[in-house]
Order: sequence, then structure tokens, then C-alpha cells
Amino acid sequence: MTTNDHAHHEGESYFDGPPGILAKVWQWMSTVDHKKIGIMYLVAVLIMFFLGGVSALVVRYELLDPVRTVETLNEAGELVQHTTGQRLAPLVDIMGAQNANEVYNRFFTLHGALMVFMFIIPSIPASMGNFFLPIMLGAKDVAFPRLNLLSWYIYVIGCLFGVLSILMGGVDTGWTFYTPYSTTTDADHWRVILMILAAFILGFSSILTGMNFVVTVHKLRAPGMGWFDMPLFIWGIYATAVIQVLATPVIGITLLLLVFERVMRIGIFDPSMGGDPVLYQHFFWFYSHPVVYVMILPGMAIISEVISVHSRKHIFGYRAIAFSSLGIAAVSFLVWGHHIFTAMGELAAILFSGLTFLVAIPTAIKVFNWIATLYKGSIALNTPMLYALVFLFTFSIGGLTGLPLATLATDIHLHDTYYVVAHFHYVMMGGTVMAFMAGLHHWWPKMFGKMYNERAAMLGCVIVFIGFNITFFTQFFLGTQGMPRRYANYVDEFQTLHIISTYGSWLLLLGFLIHLGTFVASLIAGDKATANPWGGLTLEWETSSPPIEHNFHHEPVVTHGPYDYETIVPPHWDPKDFPLPENPSSH
Amino acid sequence: MSTPTLASANMSFFQKIIFGDHAASEAGAWSDGLFMMITWFSIVCFVILMTLMVYWVIKYRRRPGVAAQPSPSHNLNLEILWTVVPSASMLVMFVLGFRGYAMKMVSPENAMELKVDAWKWAWKVTYPNGASSPEVSFLSYKDNMAQLEAGETDTYFKSTGLEYPVFYVPEDTSVRLRMHSQDVIHSFWIPEFRTKMDVIPNRYTGFGFHTPKLKSSDTYLDAASMTQVSGRDMWIFCAEYCGDEHSRMAATLRVVPQEVFDAKVKDWGTPKDPIELGKSLYKTMCKICHSIDGSPLIGPTWASGNGFGFGYEAALSDGSSAMRDDNYMRESILDPNAKVVSGFVPSMPAFQSQLSETDIEGLIEYMKFLSDQNSDGSKKDKQNQQADDTAGSDG
Repeated sequence: MTTNDHAHHEGESYFDGPPGILAKVWQWMSTVDHKKIGIMYLVAVLIMFFLGGVSALVVRYELLDPVRTVETLNEAGELVQHTTGQRLAPLVDIMGAQNANEVYNRFFTLHGALMVFMFIIPSIPASMGNFFLPIMLGAKDVAFPRLNLLSWYIYVIGCLFGVLSILMGGVDTGWTFYTPYSTTTDADHWRVILMILAAFILGFSSILTGMNFVVTVHKLRAPGMGWFDMPLFIWGIYATAVIQVLATPVIGITLLLLVFERVMRIGIFDPSMGGDPVLYQHFFWFYSHPVVYVMILPGMAIISEVISVHSRKHIFGYRAIAFSSLGIAAVSFLVWGHHIFTAMGELAAILFSGLTFLVAIPTAIKVFNWIATLYKGSIALNTPMLYALVFLFTFSIGGLTGLPLATLATDIHLHDTYYVVAHFHYVMMGGTVMAFMAGLHHWWPKMFGKMYNERAAMLGCVIVFIGFNITFFTQFFLGTQGMPRRYANYVDEFQTLHIISTYGSWLLLLGFLIHLGTFVASLIAGDKATANPWGGLTLEWETSSPPIEHNFHHEPVVTHGPYDYETIVPPHWDPKDFPLPENPSSH
Repeated sequence: MSTPTLASANMSFFQKIIFGDHAASEAGAWSDGLFMMITWFSIVCFVILMTLMVYWVIKYRRRPGVAAQPSPSHNLNLEILWTVVPSASMLVMFVLGFRGYAMKMVSPENAMELKVDAWKWAWKVTYPNGASSPEVSFLSYKDNMAQLEAGETDTYFKSTGLEYPVFYVPEDTSVRLRMHSQDVIHSFWIPEFRTKMDVIPNRYTGFGFHTPKLKSSDTYLDAASMTQVSGRDMWIFCAEYCGDEHSRMAATLRVVPQEVFDAKVKDWGTPKDPIELGKSLYKTMCKICHSIDGSPLIGPTWASGNGFGFGYEAALSDGSSAMRDDNYMRESILDPNAKVVSGFVPSMPAFQSQLSETDIEGLIEYMKFLSDQNSDGSKKDKQNQQADDTAGSDG
């Protein structure tokens, strides 16, 4: 830890930065404080979430009606013909596209690429993970603070590559970059390569953050904190970090091969040069399936904390939740084939189907544990808890609707339809984003030292919940009835469901705008937060809100478990408000 | 747990909401039954979980001064129970899913083999006698002719969706597909058979299905006679993203009585007037990228004027120019990237093995028919030019 102190002093005393506001900016841009880096990540991922959200709204807007050719007589009695239903046609020239469909294709690609690579993968681990992992361990910082800052810069450079590609017109490959389409589309443009490189660069940020967290968890736990005394948030982030370190290099190599293929025509994936296009899908999903758990495990980690703190109960089945996180991380490497059942041999499909069911079991166990934790609790219905309950609702639907996708006979009907779109939005948005919102409201007072307006935040939560379900529940029916994914246009019978879905997306926008307003109002005029507004027992609640630069005045010594609400009075907390149970059970 | 029953006989209201229509094959109906079984299992699990959650949240809501009651933080028996029960249920789903998959994938030995070719952005189905279907139909068609004639309105209105090819198959027949792609990966999906398979450039893929027996209620509107005749239309969609016109890469699969099918296939197999042949090939294969009214699509228009059309000089992207004569057209069909017209991107797949000599000649004859100039750039005489008078020429 002495080297860290040294680094801090160096940053402050040896460099005289520019004066005034620039000094402030420089202070942030050169900080090695994990809390500031966490907040910088938070701002960056929220910007990307906004951009990805806007492109989703554009996609939904185009889908309000199908394309029709209409013939009418004009005033002079001449037959005139015009096309309706191409709502993105005005953007064709601006984006340098050939037609309205290409504009649509670019927007759904942007939505996928921004949301996956730039928002959801770094969202929870890099923002809240960075801020709270060291504090919850009782450490002053992560193991490698400068590497941590570097990973933020790498993330920003990756995002800039992506944004540059968008400014050059965007790409229409789909976020999965399937070959040979991705190696042949827009052959004379650099923007596809820029987007691929963006994902490649972002991967390094992911690897460095993951490695930093693994080392921090192994080496920097406070005295008295054994592995099974760690809060479950740490377990979740730890499992995530392991996947990031092991899986991300594979996508790095794959994306580089893709760039070589495009630039030098080396013929690894393109069949016209002797390559195999399905090989790319195997490489891609070997990374991208484990990464699904990089997206959801941190969300699950937040839910474990939020449910326990706000119902004042010891989490039910601590070890089961901890081991299921590691179990999911391990099995996640063996199930990539279920993304390509329709492009592989029968035997492989059967094996991957069986393995896929395996990964569902630890997830189910976690849900049972969370609900069991509520039993006999003292449940506060505030925004973090409300979002945790929304998570349990939507994530359960997401998980259960995955069963027909793991089942081979039904998957080859549902594969690549809106059913899949609905399923993974229930898991990614209904799971990770809802957990992200739960965590953000749970830790907001700690991160910024300000309270927010509880009623406004709860209103936002209810509107997001309703809007989300209207938008995506309809899409299950679109999929089972025969609507394929990534269609700019569709046959008439799907229009009603598409209209409902689009209206839902506007409600979602309203909900998130309310949250934005709540947070801005909190920063400007929020009441000062106490050190422990929720009565939590993990270490971050022992320090002030926001925490001091070195997190704690003295290195904390851990003497109780993170969820011992039945026997321990939370720090900075009046026991009158939270009486202990009269007969603490002994277990 | 019982195996799912054949659903097509008694489709529940709930199932109708989910799938919209009956599965067209026994294998499809079987997998619908499996889907319903999993869905009911999921609904029961979901309702139990949410009931407990909501009940406990209300019952144990926070009250001032009231502490949470002590309760165990783990229970081995309970945890074993809720691990074993889902595992066993999923084993059942896996086995049934495997069985249904086998039903969909294994096609009978005496099945009729159809060759499916895919490219950006069309499907082509070739029948065992080498013929393919020239027919197309509109996605949706509405006009107010009836109201106009009845005097209810005085403005004419017609709305059409896009035009798609129609492929025919006989009823109550086993069909096997042998599929191949010319360029990128596509996916051949017939929702009513509940099966799809990727169509890949470097290998054959395929699946089989058994077409349904037609019921008396199965009819479609025959375009030629404007009457309802016996048959059942189903959608074919491309399910793997393949570019700009991915969402237009659809077709209709029409199940018809055996004798209708035999007559159609025989008719398509017999030689035709080259221009007629070219026109039907254009509609099914070329129309998605090339217009015949001068409007710019993904590829150059075939209408003459403004530097386009047969018999006009083509300005090429490398700065040179070439006369659009018979040989130019032939090369552009078989090796489209050899000469790319300025302002267009090289995106057309090669049709080297796709078209017979007769087909190529038919297409070129049709292009000649559309143009007002001969292959040497001279004007056609008036007689042949009737078709283009309204389109206008640059004189």
C-alpha cells in the first residue's frame, strides 16, 4: 500500500497543473483514486447507454408500419405513386446510405454494438465495481491503481473509435460481425474496420479491469476477512473478472483475424478463398457466450446486496450463491454452441443443448435464494428494493423463456426471431439494467453524498417497469408467430404488435428521463446523505458519504459477517430505528 | 410427465394467441405441444415465485420499531430439493427436445428433393425436372375499385406491399431441401413447419418436411382467374441477417393438389418465348435490385435513357466506359464485378452456375426489349419501340 500513497503524493505535489477549472479537470483525468475512476466510468457508460437508447428508439420508430406502394390520382387526374412506411428515408443522404433499409440496418447495429461493448459489459463492474470493490474489501484502492486509470483511457479510446465509425456513417454488419457479410459489406470503407477495432480495444480495458479485480480480491482483503466473509457483490464481481480475463483474449484474436480478412483477404472465414464462415461464429460465441455472464453476474451480485440490506435479513444460502457464481462462470465456457444450432451438425447441436440446460440450474438456485431471503424480513419498499423486485420479475421471465431456446425442437423454430430478441432483452435489460438501476439508487448516497427524491425515483421505476414489459412482452408473440429479427420491413399481420412495442419504448424513454431528472436534482439540491442511510453492514457503510480519499481513517478489522443483521447494530445507525430481534437464532 | 400430444387436432385458445396459426406438419405440431408444455411449466414456476415474493413483501413490510424475525439462513434439504427438481425437469425437456429435433431433421427416403439457392436477396427453388417457378404475388393488395364503381368515393386508391416469388409443393408429400448460398449466410425458414436451417456458402445444408393434406377451407386467391382455388399459402423468410434487403428476402410456399403441381412444373419445364422467359426471371430474381422504370435501386436500372439501358454506353467506376451489348450483359450476369457501373458498389453475386444458356439469352432478350437502342447504339425502328414510348428517351 505504500506505493499507492507515494503515487498520490507524486500526483499532487510534483505536478503543478493548469489553474482554475482546468486544474479540476486535470485532477480528475490524472487521478488514480478508484472512486473517481469509478465515477468517470459511470459517466462514460451512461453516455453510451443514452446513445444506444436513442438508436433503439430509431429502430422502433421505423417499425411502426410496413412498406407499401400507394397509387392515387392527383388533382390533374394523373396516377401518382408513392411509398409509405420508410420512416428513415430522410436520413439516407445524411448517413451516406444507399436506401432506407441500410439506415435501419446501421441503427440496429449501432444499438447492439453500443449497448453490448460500450455499455453493458463495463457498466456494473467498471463503475460500481471500481468504486465499491476495494471499499467492501477494506482496502485503500485496487491492487494496481495506475493500470486502473489506463483501463479507463483504453475504454474511452475504444469508444472514440466507435463514435468515429458512427460519424463516418456507421456500419451495417450487426453487432456480431458475422462473416462473410462483415468481410464484404462496405468493402471500400474504413468504418467497419474502425468499429471492429473499437471492440478489440475495449477488450483490453475489460482484461485489465478484470485482472486488477482478481488480484485485489486475492491480496487486499482486510484483516479478518476470509473468502466466505466477503460480501456477495465481491463474489459476483470476482467471477466476472475471471471470465473477462479468460475469454476476452479470444475475441481479440478473432476480431484481428476479421480485420486481416477484410484488409488482406487472407481467407480464414471467406469460403470463396477457402475459408469457413461458420468457424467465425464458433470463435465469436466462444467469447460472447461467457460474456453474457460478464453482463449478468454483476447484476446478480447487486441484487444479493440490495435484497439483504433492505429486508434486514441474512442472505439465504450464502455459499450456494457464491458457488453458483463460480459454477456459472465455469459452465458458461461450454455452451457457446446454442447460438448456432441452425449452422452446426446434429450431434454437436444435441451436446450443446444438454450443456445449455446445465447453466440454467445455478441461475434458478440464485432466484430461489433471493426470494427466500425476503421471508420474515423487515422489507423497506424504497427505490433500490423496488428495482430488485422488478429484477426478480423480469429476470425470471427472461430465464424461463430461455428454456424453449435450449430445447432443440423448439429452438429451430424460435432461433433468430423476435422471441430471441424479447428473451435476451428480458435477461439483459430486465436483468442487468434493472440491477444496475437498483445498485445506482442503493449506492448513490454513498457515491455522491446526496439523497435523491424517493417518490420521483419510485415513479420512474414503475414507468420503466411498465414500459419495458409493453415493449418486450409483445415481442415474444411476434417471434412465435413468425417475425424474423433484423427486419426493416415486415408482413402486414405483425403490425399491431409492432405498434404496441414501439409505444412501450416511448414509455421507457419517459421513465429514464424521470430518473435523469431525479439524479440531476439530487446532485444540485439533494439532502446530505448520512454515512449509512440504509443500515448496511458491509464495510462501505462504515466510512463517510462520500468516502474520504483513502476510504478509511484506520484499516478496518472485520469481526462480523456482511449479513449478520440479527446480531449486529449497523455502524452510524440508531438502534431505536432498527431493533435487533429479541431471540437471535444460533446458527 | 406425459409426452405432449399432437396439437393440431385441438389447438387451445392460448396456443392460438402464441403461434397465430396451426403448424403445417406433424413434427411442427409436436414441437408446438412441447413449447406449450414448457410454457405451462414456466407459468406455474413463475406464479409460485411471484406469489411468494409479493406475499412476503406485503406481510413483512417494514414497520417502525419492528425487527426482522430470526429465521435460518440456509437449509440443506430445501436447497437440495430446489436443485434436483429443476434439474430433473430440464432433463425431461432436453430428451423431448432431442426427439422433436430428430422428427424435424430426418426426412423420409422417398422424399422429393428440392434444390434451394440463396443470394442477396432472393430464393430460387429448382424442381427435380430442372424447372423453377416464375410466379410472383403481392404481399398485400388493397384497392377501392369496388367503392369507386359503386360511387361511394371519387378518388382512386391502390395500396400494394412488395412482390415475392411463389414456390409450389404438392399436398401430402415428403419434401427434402438441399440448400446452398451464393454469397453470405442466409437462413431458410418456413414458420408453419416450425423449422429453419442456415444456408451457407461452402456446404450443403437442408431439412425435410411433410406437406399437409389440404382441407376444404384451405384456399388462396388465384391471380389469373381472380377466384379462390384450393391451396394453402405459407411464408418463407430469410432468418439470418444478410444486408440491405434482408427483410425482402421472403417468398410464398404454396401447397396445392398434386395434379395442379404436376401441371405447373411441366409448364415451367417447356421452352418459352425468350422475352417472356426473361421477364419472368427478372421478376423472381433481378427485380429486387434492378428497376425497369428508371428509378435507381441497388443496381443500375434496365430502362433506357440517362446513360442506362441496353445499347447505351456504360460509364464504369474505373473511369473507362463500355458499350452495353450482348457480351457486356452476359459478362455482367456471370461475373458482375468485372465491370462495375460508376456510382454503384460491387454487391451483385455471380450467377455463373445459376442460369442456363436459355435463361441468360432470355434475360438479354428482355433487356433488349426494354431498350430503345440496338447493341451498336443505333435507334430501334418504331415497331419495336412501342413499349418505351411513354418512358421517354433522351432523343
